[in-house]
Amino acid sequence: MKILGVSMVSKEEILEGLAKAVIDGDEVKSEELAKKSLEIGIDPYESLMNGCNKGMAKVSDLYELKEMFVPEILLSADAMYAAIDILKPHLKVDASAKKPAKVVIGVAQGDIHDIGKNLVKMMLEVAGFIMIDVGKDVPVDTFVKKTIEEDADIVAISALMTTSMMYMEPVIKKLKENFVKAKVVVGGAPINNDFANKIGADGYGKDAVEAVKVSKKLVGV
Amino acid sequence: MDKMTPPERFQAVLMGEKPDRVPVVPFILGFCTKIVGMPLGDFYADGNKSFEAQFMSMRLYGYEQTPMYGYASCGPWEFGGKVGFPYGEGHSAPYVIEHPVNELVDIDKLEVPDSDKPVGGFVEAQKLCDRCVEMGMPGIFQGGSVFTAAAVVAETTKFLKWMKTEPKSAHALLDKVSQMFINQVEYFVNRYGADKCVVFDGGPVEANTVISPQKFEEFAFPYMMKVHKKIREFDIPVTLMHPCADQNLNIPYYIKMRESLNWKGIYAWIFGPETPLKTQIEKFGTHDIIGGNVDPPSIQTRTYQEVVQLCKENIEQGIENPRGFILCPGCEFPPLAEPIKPMAFIDAARQFGVYK
Ligand code: B12
Repeated sequence: MKILGVSMVSKEEILEGLAKAVIDGDEVKSEELAKKSLEIGIDPYESLMNGCNKGMAKVSDLYELKEMFVPEILLSADAMYAAIDILKPHLKVDASAKKPAKVVIGVAQGDIHDIGKNLVKMMLEVAGFIMIDVGKDVPVDTFVKKTIEEDADIVAISALMTTSMMYMEPVIKKLKENFVKAKVVVGGAPINNDFANKIGADGYGKDAVEAVKVSKKLVGV
Repeated sequence: MDKMTPPERFQAVLMGEKPDRVPVVPFILGFCTKIVGMPLGDFYADGNKSFEAQFMSMRLYGYEQTPMYGYASCGPWEFGGKVGFPYGEGHSAPYVIEHPVNELVDIDKLEVPDSDKPVGGFVEAQKLCDRCVEMGMPGIFQGGSVFTAAAVVAETTKFLKWMKTEPKSAHALLDKVSQMFINQVEYFVNRYGADKCVVFDGGPVEANTVISPQKFEEFAFPYMMKVHKKIREFDIPVTLMHPCADQNLNIPYYIKMRESLNWKGIYAWIFGPETPLKTQIEKFGTHDIIGGNVDPPSIQTRTYQEVVQLCKENIEQGIENPRGFILCPGCEFPPLAEPIKPMAFIDAARQFGVYK
């Protein structure tokens, strides 16, 4: 069956195929299907949301269930980025739509654990945020400077150690001192809701999926 | 009151006898620089300074831990890469500046240091061990983990992906890293004699928050076996095992290693707080010493009284381990904890850890 020139069977097949390629971490396949999706006229936004994102959501679930682990997720991310690279130039820019929110993300001072930060960055990117990655072991002032420079809406700070989590509060204080309105989201293994509240953060996420939820809430998406 | 000195107490546990009370090995590394007023960077950059800070802290508190040298990002320096020392604000341990392996072709080019001299961090470890052995204490140095070292010799995310996309290359790297550890262990054995050596093996990248038990079986286990087979051949009596963070799904392989090597030495296990002491005792308690696993962040964030309580709970669960128990945190003692916190461990051992 064909509706508006798009073959329905193959559309579903392609979207499902894309999701599967992301789950399997199959970069070649996801690239191929992204190209195919454009060829047969599937709206790239739909491929992104119902293909790639759907696959990535499943990946998060499987990580939670300890059925997927970091190496597999990293390959899923590669597969997803490969598709995004192809789809992105074809996304229709809706002039009336709100401009996407910008997030400055980095790992707190003194901390080089960046695997979690990279996963959070990727999930936020998939969710449509513009990501500015300031890396790991990031000094307090760099977070503040970059947020002002980029006029970011959100600052996302990751810390995996009891030593480095102490550098989250100074970022929040300095942002306030400089009258920066950006919201601050924190996360990482030693962080919890209580700690986030105590230091005056606007949001906390226990994993990458929650990172997306709180960030969306904070910018009103 | 204590009836034994710290060396007597520790020796008793090693010999399988009951000491007067539970010994305390607080896994203090960077923390002790605060005690002596030394920059944290010096602790890792200079084995002599590392010895002095640890020796002073050990005397001040009277715990049973003797000085040792090691850190999680071991490997890159030994293979010609570059590590930074924690002199910067907020730093807590050495970190990688330059990974020797960034592309697959770099693996072929890696040269395995041989056993005639120490390299990288082992040079500093030797300075520290010389002083320990001279004073009748064991020389404690790193013999792994191979998997964590390989994951930092190579750029970490690339290595993690290669396990799936380029398994042959991942194995080639692991093989070279394991040989490096074997050669360095051999150097120390030749220098001091096996009976003076204690190998420390452990790392965080094989945690199940990062890799699956299947990946552990395929990529971590064979090389851990290779190194431990050598440790057994060398006849090193005590091996400190620190499966860092949540490694519950990897436990079957640690058991398998002990069984298939027909281990005749003693393992002392320091698992993370994620592994209940009950499980550890069940799996290893008849042969091995079990170290406690007091939650490290809590040592820093909670009060003295609360830490004593956590230690008490640990002691109650571990004290009857058939092959002996020592009170430890589940990972390195937080470098920023207050100076009173090691006392909480010792006070708890004195109050709740006395053997009748
Ligand atoms: C892998 C690892 C390493 C690797 C890191 C490689 C890398 N490039 O990242 C290496 C070997 C280099 C390493 C080194 C060290 N490590 Co380490 N390491 C770990 C380990 C096992 C896993 C971390 C990880 O990647 N997890 C997987 C990811 C996916 O999970 P995650 O990071 O938690 O992220 C998720 C969530 O937390 C959340 N999240 C994360 N960030 C953010 C941010 C926001 C805004 C939000 C909303 C959510 C969010 O979403 C993520 C995805 O779901 C942890 C143990 C643990 N339980 O976390 C120890 C751990 C963090 N390490 C620890 C230590 C002590 C060290 C060393 C100091 C050891 C030493 N003495 O040398 C060094 C430190 C080096 C330094 N200078 O910083 C301790 C920290 C203890 C403490 N003080 O609090 C831990 C907790 C182990 C332990 N049990 O004690 N380590």
